[in-house]
Amino acid sequence: MSVLGRRGALELRALTTNSKTSPTAIRSFSVLNRPAPNYPGHVPLTTIERGALAIGSALGSLVNPRRADLIAALGEATATPFFIYRLRDAMLSDPTGRRILRDRPRITSETLKMTHLRTLPENSVGRTYAKWLDREGVSPDTRDNVQYIDNEECAYVMQRYRECHDFYHAVTGLPIFVEGELALKALEFLNTLLPMTGLSLFAFVRMKPAEKERFLSLHLPWAIRSGLRSNELINVYWEEVLEKDVDELRAELNIERPPDLRDIRKMIRQQQKREKEQREQASG
Amino acid sequence: MRPISRSALRPHVCQTCRHGIGAGRRRFASQSGSPDLYDVVCVGGGPAGLGLMAALRASPITSKLRVALIETQDLTKAQAWNLEPTQYSNRVSSLTPSSVAFLRQIGAYDHLDVDRVQDYQDMQVWDGQTGSSISFDWSMETSPFEDPRTVATMTENANLVRALLRRIAQSGDENLSLFSNSTVASIETGSDLKPEGPDLSAWPVLSIKPTGPSESTPKRIAARLLVGADGINSPVRSFADISTHGWDYGRHGIVATLALGDLDIPPFPASKRTAYQRFLPALGGPIALLPLPNNHATLVWSTTPENAAYLKSLSTPSFLAMVNAAFRLEMTDLSYMMGMSSTSDISHQDELTWRTQHTALPSQVPPPATAVQEGTVASFPLRFRHAAQYVSPRVALVGDAAHVIHPLAGQGLNLGLADVASLSKTIQYAVSHGMDVGDLITLERYSSERYLPNAKIGGACDLLHKMYTVPGEGPVAWARSLGLGVVDRLPFVKSFLMKNAEGY
Repeated sequence: MSVLGRRGALELRALTTNSKTSPTAIRSFSVLNRPAPNYPGHVPLTTIERGALAIGSALGSLVNPRRADLIAALGEATATPFFIYRLRDAMLSDPTGRRILRDRPRITSETLKMTHLRTLPENSVGRTYAKWLDREGVSPDTRDNVQYIDNEECAYVMQRYRECHDFYHAVTGLPIFVEGELALKALEFLNTLLPMTGLSLFAFVRMKPAEKERFLSLHLPWAIRSGLRSNELINVYWEEVLEKDVDELRAELNIERPPDLRDIRKMIRQQQKREKEQREQASG
Repeated sequence: MRPISRSALRPHVCQTCRHGIGAGRRRFASQSGSPDLYDVVCVGGGPAGLGLMAALRASPITSKLRVALIETQDLTKAQAWNLEPTQYSNRVSSLTPSSVAFLRQIGAYDHLDVDRVQDYQDMQVWDGQTGSSISFDWSMETSPFEDPRTVATMTENANLVRALLRRIAQSGDENLSLFSNSTVASIETGSDLKPEGPDLSAWPVLSIKPTGPSESTPKRIAARLLVGADGINSPVRSFADISTHGWDYGRHGIVATLALGDLDIPPFPASKRTAYQRFLPALGGPIALLPLPNNHATLVWSTTPENAAYLKSLSTPSFLAMVNAAFRLEMTDLSYMMGMSSTSDISHQDELTWRTQHTALPSQVPPPATAVQEGTVASFPLRFRHAAQYVSPRVALVGDAAHVIHPLAGQGLNLGLADVASLSKTIQYAVSHGMDVGDLITLERYSSERYLPNAKIGGACDLLHKMYTVPGEGPVAWARSLGLGVVDRLPFVKSFLMKNAEGY
């Protein structure tokens, strides 16, 4: 629908560019008459479209939590009117945050060379990040561009949040499967107040009973504790702290390190294996 | 109220009976002889005190009264005040049309240097937090083909004081004493000097001493009516034992004279000038830019004492950047810039340039300030005071001695001039009806005419201040924006408010 609408608007605009006083200039924003984008890649949406996008992407991502594009769309559709401005103002109130907004750095495999990160000292932020990417088998280039946020500066803030998300993973050591993701989203919700991070917690219903119990007793209390105490994560200039000790950074940000989920899983698996072997021995 | 034994509180008791009551109780008799008697003595030679003198001298009814004015500063210097045409004093006031009408009526307006006076026809006021705005002009009352009506007139206080002094000088020096460079050493209640002299019990008797080292004995004068136009710490008010209520706002007003950049004067209506005021809830008060001639403007920025100290410590380019930012940027940016260290590599101007690109500017932004006139950046504390009463037997308070209000509506001087207009009318009435000008019954006319209007305007300014210092988005911000929007869209409400502010 939106593609058609955009094309329609483009055609209309092409037809009427000659006369400045054309009725399209004063006609209200509709599906057939989309205003010009505020930044490259921007897709202006009406309120109804935004609402539909929010509901659709929320349901879609609940059905399939691996759909990062839907989660991204949900984040953008629910970030306005208030939340993304709050996050931008948090950046504007901080010298580093202001510097980030001024420089507008992007995190890609181009700007952050993995080969360089792997050469950094052990336990540095950059090395930890590289190790985490390797362990989880992900790349910084998988992040979509922001397209549904109207204010171009807020769009950058959203982009920055999205690109820094992997750093949050790396610093907390949380893995990308649902359990780790939810723990991190809970932390992010309390830290950034972005509604998408809070809405993501509904994925809780998809977890297994044992995971639910573990989440409620272990990672949720951790997320609440750290989230309420921590400084604004968005104001970390990650490109500049790559060589810093990761424990030092965690202390600066007031974030505790949560129990390592992969280790826990491994231990549980080993335990199950041992129990199974014991059972087999007993029966055999 | 000061303790007064008899006469003043019992004006209905006739002279002879009154004299009988006090007979045999002669106190302080013939203390350094009988003082000089005046009908009206005004303490304080600011715009209010001088306005009263000029008004009394201008009216044929009161011009024969024996009047005196006591002022600490040198009045001859004030009368000879002169500045380069491109220089403007930082003490500037906005005169409402009713104040201008009063000045015209007493003949003082003709003595004003009109090249240094600037009318404005439009006032743009907006909320820096929510962006809601209101425009005060008379377009709802006038037709679009008339010249726009003046909302207020900006004038330097020094220009006004000089005009009033010239007007007083024009009236001659008969029955007039100007005690310049003089302070009131003491005020006491006079005594009955009968039979050698007049009965001055209940008359205030002032000892006047020249400022500076002087051997001369203080001059004593007695006042039938003593007018306190002596400011917020009024000695006359303390003498009359009138209590005053109020509070300090914990805010300072920063003033400066600025030169403005390219002024895009609209082709129609010609020569329309605009005053701008933006409320900055996060910084503790509004910033206002009021037009002066030759593309200059005067700045009044109410803010916390810490911010005021910070602003005064800035270099000129940074100060200008802050002023321009205050009319353009969002509260978050302003709060941040208010704490920027002057040693950082990024200057205030860099921040302003960068943030302006990312901020949606409203249509009513003033032209950028490009220069600060040297030595004009100053600040003063903002206070609210209201005297419990304006009159007491043989005493009347006018201007700041009676009320001090928040300057956000630029009403302080106008209220003072309205007091003076009312008091001079009261004195005229008393004189033409053969009443005692110092009598409480005479003065109550003045008090009843002015107390409520002053309380109303002072209270309105106080309420506006309190509403517009609640930072952040919230119910208060929502409510005040709604209120501003409603007033802006309802011409009769706006017209009613403007008439109130104008003093009609």
